[in-house]
Amino acid sequence: MTEPAVRVEDLAKVFEVPEREAGLRAATRGLVRRKTREVRAVDGISFQIAPGEIVGFLGPNGAGKTTTLKMLSGLLYVTDGEARVLGHVPSKRERDFLRRISLVMGNRNQLQWDLPALDSFELNRSIYRIPREDFLAMRDELIELLEVGDLVRKPVRQLSLGERMKVEIVGALLHRPQVLFLDEPTIGLDVTMQKRIREFVAEYRRRHGATVMLTSHYMADVEALCERVIVIHHGRILFDGDLAGLANTVAAWKTIAVVVGNGAGDLSAYGDVIHRDGDLVTLRVAKGETARVTARLLAEQDVLDLNVEDPPIEDVIELVFAREAVE
Amino acid sequence: MRALATTLRAELVGEGGVVERNINLTKRYIWWDLAWFVWTVANTLTIVFIAEGIEATGGQLDVNEVMTSLLIGAVIWAYLGVLFEFLMETVAWERWEGTIEYTFMAPLSRAMHLAGQGLFAIMYGLLRAVFLFTVCALFFRLSMPDANFLAAFVVLTVASVSFLGIGAMTSVLPLISPEKGTQLGFVAQGTLLVVSGVYYPVDVLPGWMQFLAMFSPATYALEGAREAILEGAPMSAMWDEIWPLLILGVISIPLGLWIFQRGELYAKKHGKLKRSG
Repeated sequence: MTEPAVRVEDLAKVFEVPEREAGLRAATRGLVRRKTREVRAVDGISFQIAPGEIVGFLGPNGAGKTTTLKMLSGLLYVTDGEARVLGHVPSKRERDFLRRISLVMGNRNQLQWDLPALDSFELNRSIYRIPREDFLAMRDELIELLEVGDLVRKPVRQLSLGERMKVEIVGALLHRPQVLFLDEPTIGLDVTMQKRIREFVAEYRRRHGATVMLTSHYMADVEALCERVIVIHHGRILFDGDLAGLANTVAAWKTIAVVVGNGAGDLSAYGDVIHRDGDLVTLRVAKGETARVTARLLAEQDVLDLNVEDPPIEDVIELVFAREAVE
Repeated sequence: MRALATTLRAELVGEGGVVERNINLTKRYIWWDLAWFVWTVANTLTIVFIAEGIEATGGQLDVNEVMTSLLIGAVIWAYLGVLFEFLMETVAWERWEGTIEYTFMAPLSRAMHLAGQGLFAIMYGLLRAVFLFTVCALFFRLSMPDANFLAAFVVLTVASVSFLGIGAMTSVLPLISPEKGTQLGFVAQGTLLVVSGVYYPVDVLPGWMQFLAMFSPATYALEGAREAILEGAPMSAMWDEIWPLLILGVISIPLGLWIFQRGELYAKKHGKLKRSG
């Protein structure tokens, strides 16, 4: 049986956060008696990721995504439970482990702002002990894939956000990591750049068989790249499975957008009317009923246009969180 | 044995990378560094002028000798400033730049990481100290007919090993306190020099401070440099300063590394390893 690339069991991270009321009295009291409270950023999560798999790690801000990724890359010690990446305990900082992983954070940088990216690439070559030939081949491959040939000679501070992200990715992948943790890699980027980076991640994974764990607030990233998603909220896993399965579990319905020629009358007999705009009516119907309702509409109404769609993934995720809040 | 040699070689390559990065960064801002050097010169002049001021107000002293002695103190103060600043920046500056998480995730041992920072700081600091000393000595036309500059340089270089150990201890401060840690590092630098007789003989200090002076490498660096430059002491006479420095180095380097590693552990447990600014 193949050893999972990432194995997490009952993983927890608890932070002690100082807390005080406003005002001078509370501030003075805080000098002698500091009040703290425990925040369970990650609360006993378990999952496994197979080698070569790409998994979307979803959740709202503060859900525990970045904390988990930091524990998996050895930047944070775990409070409880166990994490293993490529068979290593991340916090031990074993060289063989560190040389085989990479964490890319959309709102951080590893390249020195004052230097051209090429200089920082050289530093990475020394630190990751990449043989010069391999380094040059990989560097040029990445530069070509991301089309950053004319950017890597400029000081990083002169690059736009999207350009910087692309050269950051080059820097993070020079040592050809087997496991790639991507934390919001497309944050703040325009749609074209987001698409470019998505395509690149898919291509890198295809070429090098890398395991990828991706967090993103852009559902387009997740839909384009991930077959499996893990949804986390308040430090706990709410769902772990394939993307289609998530929609089936949480939102077992489809939408039918229909334009009726003879003026849309009352279509509520066909399903829940969730939107109406002139002749265009959007109905929500149970997945199992979709074919029957569509056939009825076509037979009984003067249908000019009809479109059947799965619920948007954003709505599905929102439903997952809403369901957790109710429970 | 071969595996050990390979690991050592790899570590040294990584250390070289850190030195190279610092060279590139310094080169990038070399003109600003020169401007900063002017400030250091001005600061040093204000201290050395004190000797002329005392004479002008009726004090009896060998102005040339006191000026040279003050200059040595000011140069070593400036040198320590550079050394501690670079080591402190190991954390503080990377935290500001937002690169700290990546640096701490890199497969480079902390010892080599700090050694890379320290090695560059020593090279750059010594170069700057030589320039500073030359510029100020020329400005005051100081006479040093017997000076043994080589011996003074050797003592300062040997002392630098202990300074690195102490620097590693202070560089942990920004790691455990992102907000105020850097300032506390300067407190350490100032305290070290106060007890070491930076502008005065250690004998004038209260007894408890003289006791502390025995454990400060700056004491021996200052004494050695003054003996070599003012009295022309030969290299062989430097042994009195060098052996305590070697002992302090042997203790302070592993102690500094251990403290830094404890700080890193604390930061990783409490989530302090993140960007600020």
